[in-house]
Amino acid sequence: MSFFNGLFGRKRDSSAELAKQRLLTVLIDDRYKLTPEMMAQLKADLAEVLQRYLPAIDAEQIEVTLSRGEAHDLLKADVPLRRAAEPPSKR
Amino acid sequence: MDGKRLSVSGVIMGRVITVTSGKGGVGKTTTTANLGTALAMRGARVAVVDADIGLRNLDVVMGLENRIVYDLVDVVEGRARLRQALIKDKRLPELCLLPAAQTRDKDAVNAQQMIDLTQQLRAEFDYVLIDSPAGIEAGFRNAIAGADEVIIVTTPEVSAVRDADRIVGLIEAAEKGPASLIINRIKPRLVSRGEMLSVEDVLELLAISLLGIVPEDETIVIATNRGEAAVYDPNSLAGRAYINIAQRLAGEDVPVMAIPDQQGVLDRLLSLFGRRRT
Repeated sequence: MSFFNGLFGRKRDSSAELAKQRLLTVLIDDRYKLTPEMMAQLKADLAEVLQRYLPAIDAEQIEVTLSRGEAHDLLKADVPLRRAAEPPSKR
Repeated sequence: MDGKRLSVSGVIMGRVITVTSGKGGVGKTTTTANLGTALAMRGARVAVVDADIGLRNLDVVMGLENRIVYDLVDVVEGRARLRQALIKDKRLPELCLLPAAQTRDKDAVNAQQMIDLTQQLRAEFDYVLIDSPAGIEAGFRNAIAGADEVIIVTTPEVSAVRDADRIVGLIEAAEKGPASLIINRIKPRLVSRGEMLSVEDVLELLAISLLGIVPEDETIVIATNRGEAAVYDPNSLAGRAYINIAQRLAGEDVPVMAIPDQQGVLDRLLSLFGRRRT
């Protein structure tokens, strides 16, 4: 398997790939200094605001990530919505 | 003549470029010496300034350590005029070194004094290259205080890249950005095996523009032992890389030099089948 990985692109577990992934995380941490506590608070606040518009939001499931982009870094929030068993009835 | 710019008053002024890195030992001094020499070989008037007060090194790398009479701090404190402190290179009369003080520390100068010094230098030279100390403290801040442009040197290693990113942020904050990048000590075979960060990886991580790349090269050790810049040696791959970088710095429209990877037959065969190469 590793033979084919070596042939067709860089191995996922090559040390360079590992170095890159570790650096991606550490550089974001260095730049924004978002502590785990702040991140948890951010998610809670986000859920609170979004739930005003979308009650189907599951606050527990929100995932917030910081990543490096080309021109700028990116804060990305994945907010899963609970699928209602049936469409909400109009009042 | 490349390098010159017009000042507000219409006087022709040189460019002040600081070479810095964050992490020590990645090749700032070697880079400053070789770029300064390469630019002077093109006919430009170049001053290289050792801003690493207390840890003087640019003089020995350039083989000028026996000629020092006055230093940067002597000039700043008025004990010597700039012209008295500048040391002419052995081969290139248009290349001068302003050495750092060895017996003082980084607090011997401040940012305003460095700005004043670079203003004096840019009136006399086309390029003023400042070799910054490692770190993010006062010495680094002084070294970039008078700069028009900043070059960050890194190696493809996690610690050097991390520190380079800190420097990118500090340079942006000091409104000296965007900095450009030199990736030093690249080992092509290690990169093609996936065991060293590639140029693309480092650029993606740091998100700044690439000025040039320099391969790991034993001729740098030999040139430094002799106190001669590697750019004089036509067989030095690193020397050729620095000449390429000097061309790009001078505004010539030349691509970043490709590093021959000197790989074996098997590697070549594998790379034919689409294995990633850099």
